[in-house]
Amino acid sequence: MRDPDVLVVGAGPAGISAAAELAAAGLSVLWIDQRDRPGGAIHRQPSAASTAIAFGPASVRNQWRRLHARFQGTGVSLTGETGFAGIDSDGVAILEQRHSGTTTCVRAKAIILAVGAVERVLPRPGWHLPGVCTAGGMQVMLKETGSPPRGRVLVAGNGPLTLALATQLAAAGNPPVAVLEASDPFRRPSHALALMRSPRLVGEALHYSTRVAFARIPWKRGRRVVAIESHGGALRVRSVAKNGYVETFDVEHIALHDGIRPNTFGLPEGEARPFIIRAGDCREALGAVAAEVDGKQAARRVIARLRGEPAPKPHPMLNAERRAQDTLASLFRPHGDAVPADLPDDTILCRCEGRTVGDLRTLLAAHPGISPREVKLNGRFAMGLCQGRFCADNVAALLEHGGETGPVSADALTGTRWPIRPIAIASLIRDADDPNSSTPQ
Amino acid sequence: MAVTRKLRAAIVGAGIVGAASAYFLSRAGFAVQMLDAAAPASGATGSADGAVSVASKRPGPMMEAAIRGVETYRDLHGAGIFEGVFKERSTFMLAQDAAEDAVLEAHAVALSGNGVELRLHREDALHRTVQNLSRAIRSAIEVRGEGHAIGYEVTSRLIAASGATVARGCRVNGFRTASRSGSLDALETSAGTIEADLVVLAAGGGSASLLGLASALRPRKGQLLVTERAPALNAGIRGSLMSCRYLMSKDSTETRMTGSGRRFGLVVDPLRTGQFLIGGTREETAERGTDADAVRRLLVEAVALVPRLREVRLLRTFAGVRTATADGRPLIGRVRGFDNVLVATGFEGDGICLGPLTGKIVSQLARGEPTAIDLSPFDPARFATQEQAA
Repeated sequence: MRDPDVLVVGAGPAGISAAAELAAAGLSVLWIDQRDRPGGAIHRQPSAASTAIAFGPASVRNQWRRLHARFQGTGVSLTGETGFAGIDSDGVAILEQRHSGTTTCVRAKAIILAVGAVERVLPRPGWHLPGVCTAGGMQVMLKETGSPPRGRVLVAGNGPLTLALATQLAAAGNPPVAVLEASDPFRRPSHALALMRSPRLVGEALHYSTRVAFARIPWKRGRRVVAIESHGGALRVRSVAKNGYVETFDVEHIALHDGIRPNTFGLPEGEARPFIIRAGDCREALGAVAAEVDGKQAARRVIARLRGEPAPKPHPMLNAERRAQDTLASLFRPHGDAVPADLPDDTILCRCEGRTVGDLRTLLAAHPGISPREVKLNGRFAMGLCQGRFCADNVAALLEHGGETGPVSADALTGTRWPIRPIAIASLIRDADDPNSSTPQ
Repeated sequence: MAVTRKLRAAIVGAGIVGAASAYFLSRAGFAVQMLDAAAPASGATGSADGAVSVASKRPGPMMEAAIRGVETYRDLHGAGIFEGVFKERSTFMLAQDAAEDAVLEAHAVALSGNGVELRLHREDALHRTVQNLSRAIRSAIEVRGEGHAIGYEVTSRLIAASGATVARGCRVNGFRTASRSGSLDALETSAGTIEADLVVLAAGGGSASLLGLASALRPRKGQLLVTERAPALNAGIRGSLMSCRYLMSKDSTETRMTGSGRRFGLVVDPLRTGQFLIGGTREETAERGTDADAVRRLLVEAVALVPRLREVRLLRTFAGVRTATADGRPLIGRVRGFDNVLVATGFEGDGICLGPLTGKIVSQLARGEPTAIDLSPFDPARFATQEQAA
């Protein structure tokens, strides 16, 4: 594979607009995504075998038409089914080609990382059981296969995405039995008024809430899921309202979602050798419209850098999107701590290695003043296959409750690394560009 | 009535050597304060290969020290301190061709001459003893009674058992000399003055600036890899696998150097967790990154030893920077010019193996007892041409 001027990782709104902008400027671009076609999580295209369902409000569908035209117009082509394994200490990007089971190393002058956002899911007793998934995970499955999960579904957590999923499940023919929302946006009229300043968000809110109401899905606000248990081949979910009212739901599936955060796990960043910047939701989770603008901005920064010109100023639109997202976050802010300090000891924190809240408490009690790195190594948190994707934020929050260390960042547990995700040794030792590299024995 | 107070020991550096010193000094009656510029096991200890092994040592003081080092692990394991963190296992040193076979046989003679328990496995017998090995491996010597210990786990255990307090993020700015000539009575640190009757310097490369030993101590990097858990494959491999070329890599006269000035010596160690540790490089740098060239080369060699490693995923790559000395032997002993300052550093890749033993020796020196091994080969004064500590 030829070394490109710029490597763009990700084919969501930010990656598409970055790749198109760079190509239009005449730079050589290697544009990769782990999927075989552009779209990202928001514009995930159905797999060839399934039927497409038109999802989302008009603003989302319009963006996809616009982005699609943009990359087709510039002629930039996506190298699909290619994972970004990271940057090594020589500044080389290691790429994993899933279809051929090989890796390749490329040296780019600049790298734009546009790998989007990931969901946050808070620990709850029983959240590791089969039948529990994330709302985003269920959404992707729905978009790819066109069919909903079978059996009763409960959607629970925090933030507008739970309503979007409920709408999509209803459209696919299996509306959830309820949506449980930890916050109570109806009790925050001043924030609701502030939302009016963003007509697009109002449009999206109306789109989803009217559909949820039309499908007669109960939207229960001020509810927290406090336990999930296996019960007669299904899941029994216990929820508690702010006033202490307990309600249980028997379902086959529960989709959890507690907001999103930039997908920065293990990612490098830096000004030198190569110039690496982040764009879109993986820089700041502001949503798809902001990501499109941010991707273009990142491309312009790279172009300026490679031409030795001064860096362009940030786009003013990003400030407006940030204010709108802040308003939305205030509207949906749950009462109390995000990760409750009183979780039972046997609640799983690290699902990869089966480490519990109690394990963390024991470690903290035995080692006063312990550093996040020691918590990682000796507690084996953020050490498993997911490398902290699921537990680092939650462990960091509990460390802060512990009180001695002050603010703790999840990065202190996950760090910058390669491989960013576990990678098959068979692929790593087979270099796609080197016919003499190791072959199967 | 006379009130006797406990003697106070201040230990600079909370790696495995500092932690073991804390453990043995506190058992000897000292009140121990540890300090570290970062946190326990944040240096070489936290990114070591964890071999508690005599197998690769050349005859001489390092082989003798390693034999005592492994014994100390067994003692502490027996005492319950290392329960669950020390995995007893053999080391298999493997030969692939006639030349390697010859190196291996000579090495076996040296090891058994020092009383190390060995078994020689050839051809089919070898493949019955160690499953999943490549058929290209012709013979192996099995060094029994060795083990593996993860540096940060051992360090954490020793600190907890010592009851010592640890000041994290605490830097030493200088020493305060006592009115009595030839002794220190306090450390001036970023966290204030720490008074002490005994000072132990076990700060790896950080010891160099404290002692003015910058020319004797040098950083040496080693890259290491850890796989995901592969319990079935792991269970069939009864011990650490070491290419007998490792002996050549450790030998400074041997030239398996690449253009970048680094040497490779392959070790595949089946860990207690079902994971594999694969190492490693030796590089003359203090930079802590890992690179695709080195990682690929280690993996190609590892797969050549154990073909089924192809089916396993690589989870982590990391590098440790060890403190090496010019002659390959650590510094253990009194610091010239002071009667109450001890140094223990420069272990390079042997800190995990020798750390607990060294802690015991530090305590023996502090109490004026005979030491577990002859310390003359490790005398810090052999590099004492440089100026005294600031």
